Amino acid sequence: MNEMIFEAKGLSRSFTVGGSPIREFANHFLRDRQPTVLRAVDNVSLTLREGETLGVVGESGCGKSTLARMIAGILPASSGERCFRGEAYDSFLARKRDALKIQMVFQDPLSSLNPRLRVGEIVGEAAVLHRLVPRSKAKDYVVDILARVGLPADSINRYPHQFSGGQRQRVGIARALAVKPHMLICDEAVAALDVSVQAQIINLLMDIKRDSGLAMIFISHDLGVIRHLCDRVAVMYLGRIVELAETKQLFASPTHPYTRMLLDGMPKISLQRRRFMPIQGEIPSPLHPPLGCHFHPRCQIATEHCSRVRPELRQIAPGHVHACLNIECRSALGEM
Amino acid sequence: MSRAGLKDFIGRFAESRSAVVSLAVSITFVACAIFAPLLAPTDPYDLTQLQLSDALKPTGSKRMLPGEEIRANMWVEGGSASVEPVSPAKTRLAFLTEPCAPNCLSVIVRPEDVRLASLQIRNLPAGVTVEGAKKHPIQPWWTVDTPQGSKVRLISSAPLPASFTFLAIAKSMEQETDFIFRLGTDGFGRDMLSAILYGIRISVFVGLVAAGVAMVFGTGLGLLSAWRGGVTDAIIMRAVDFMLGLPALLVGLAILAVLGNGVSKVVLAIVIVQWSYYARTARSFALSELGKEYVEAAQCLRLSPTRIMLRHVLPNCMPQIIVLFTLNIAAAISLESSLSFLGVGLPLTRPSLGMLIASGYEFIFSHKYWISIYPGVVLLVMIVAMNLLGDRLRDLNNPRLDR
Repeated sequence: MNEMIFEAKGLSRSFTVGGSPIREFANHFLRDRQPTVLRAVDNVSLTLREGETLGVVGESGCGKSTLARMIAGILPASSGERCFRGEAYDSFLARKRDALKIQMVFQDPLSSLNPRLRVGEIVGEAAVLHRLVPRSKAKDYVVDILARVGLPADSINRYPHQFSGGQRQRVGIARALAVKPHMLICDEAVAALDVSVQAQIINLLMDIKRDSGLAMIFISHDLGVIRHLCDRVAVMYLGRIVELAETKQLFASPTHPYTRMLLDGMPKISLQRRRFMPIQGEIPSPLHPPLGCHFHPRCQIATEHCSRVRPELRQIAPGHVHACLNIECRSALGEM
Repeated sequence: MSRAGLKDFIGRFAESRSAVVSLAVSITFVACAIFAPLLAPTDPYDLTQLQLSDALKPTGSKRMLPGEEIRANMWVEGGSASVEPVSPAKTRLAFLTEPCAPNCLSVIVRPEDVRLASLQIRNLPAGVTVEGAKKHPIQPWWTVDTPQGSKVRLISSAPLPASFTFLAIAKSMEQETDFIFRLGTDGFGRDMLSAILYGIRISVFVGLVAAGVAMVFGTGLGLLSAWRGGVTDAIIMRAVDFMLGLPALLVGLAILAVLGNGVSKVVLAIVIVQWSYYARTARSFALSELGKEYVEAAQCLRLSPTRIMLRHVLPNCMPQIIVLFTLNIAAAISLESSLSFLGVGLPLTRPSLGMLIASGYEFIFSHKYWISIYPGVVLLVMIVAMNLLGDRLRDLNNPRLDR
């Protein structure tokens, strides 16, 4: 259980915005016009143990999806290391059949399915091509997989547009399961669904996890879903992880001001009428992130120091790290 | 596309009456192209069938059989003659002789229904003349125009010599046949109807093949451009911009001026002109498809780039490319016709519609309108029909234009 299945060290991904060769040439003459670099994911380190579910939570545009794609190996990293069971990604991804061990479930159930392929082919294509099953047995195999995600056998001859949103997401999950993954990345897998359907899909994912011991990275902006599903949670803000802890610990005693504000924004069942405290201000443009701590313009306890020094992740309790300069340990929270 | 989707597509297509008509017209033209050898009353490529006497005949005129001619040496021996044709020409005509009154010999041309334009008798012995004939001022030649009953009489005041020889030349009149040139004939005596049917065949063939090759080539480059990005993309797209910046006709002219004429060269020229449209369209739609999550899913399933592009991305770009294909067939046909009209396209012996229009152009001011007008109308109808068809398909593909 404690075996690492995935490890990322200092993972970064930056995109150059408007950086063409001509622009670079022009920059020789226009000193002030540097090509703008968007750091979608900035120096992220995280680990995932076998059979564990790690939640990644954060606002829109904080780099969750970029991180997911880097972990899935479909987006190269600008810098940093990725290891699958101790093996670096370069050699791991080169062996196509092994690379199938990491699979992904996508956000949009419709656009993540090729509209021109029948479900049978969507689910079975990769398994047949990578010779996980012989072509002759592909149909039975696909029917089995579809049954596992709760879809009838006659689905294999239908097209994605003939299904409802929840069923499509089941097809997406079946497609990932069909290549026998060991690690599943769910990128906002339930965000586009109705609440009732969300519950079904979450239950399905939990069943799959229980049955096959998949390690999962579950990316969401929905704290309720994360709390329900995950063993540990990483909170991201503007490309950086600001806090990472066991789920119970994080929800019980969040330390980073951003995490606390996020949790304050969660609707709760309580008898008291309560005013929500929205986080002040807008999320800054990732093109021009604030210096120092990214969160300091919106932080209530920020000091002048925060605008200059970039906070590193520090351990404040066993298995609990955060990146805040002002809060040294959990006991300090009471003083605020 | 599922069956229900197809039914729905056909239903929406049929909402536009002009689209249905143009589809029918287009299918008719393609059928004309395929079955031209069966439909055409004559084979316009068979140059041996052409006769100059049929040239420039107006619509509805009948084919004329040209007058035949026979020459024969006649030996008269005691009242009966032996006939020896001089030139072994294929002709139905034949000579025979029979004595009439004393000192008289009839020269008769068979078959009986033949209408002769003239009958000439040469080299008669002294004292013998031909009844009712004009004598050549110098030569001993007697000519009778349109002889009654296809015969002439040789008469002499003295008894005819026991044996003598002479040369007889008969020319028959032109004969009408039952064959009607429904659309007239061109300057070479070709039946315009047949020439137009074969012209449609060539035009449709050139249009389909050229647009098809350009589609395969251009779409491939477009997909490559979208997939590779970076320098490859920049090079291909600048080449596209360059091609789009040049007038198509000028490029075609230049290419054919270098290569010479011929069907394959015209196809090559049109491909060079048209690939850029497909490349740009394929690239833009492939880029938008590449941004969708199913492509990432395919990458995550570790499918090869070739498979992702051809099996996943390409089928989703095909509707737009097929629309472009339909429109570009019409453009290819009109480009081929323009090039042929300018005299660099197809050879004169295998005329396309453009070549037919060009060949009638020199006669159009002498009221011989049919040589240019009919192929022109056919070309116009064909191109308009294919454009309307392509427009409708494009509208159906664009949900914003569709209600």
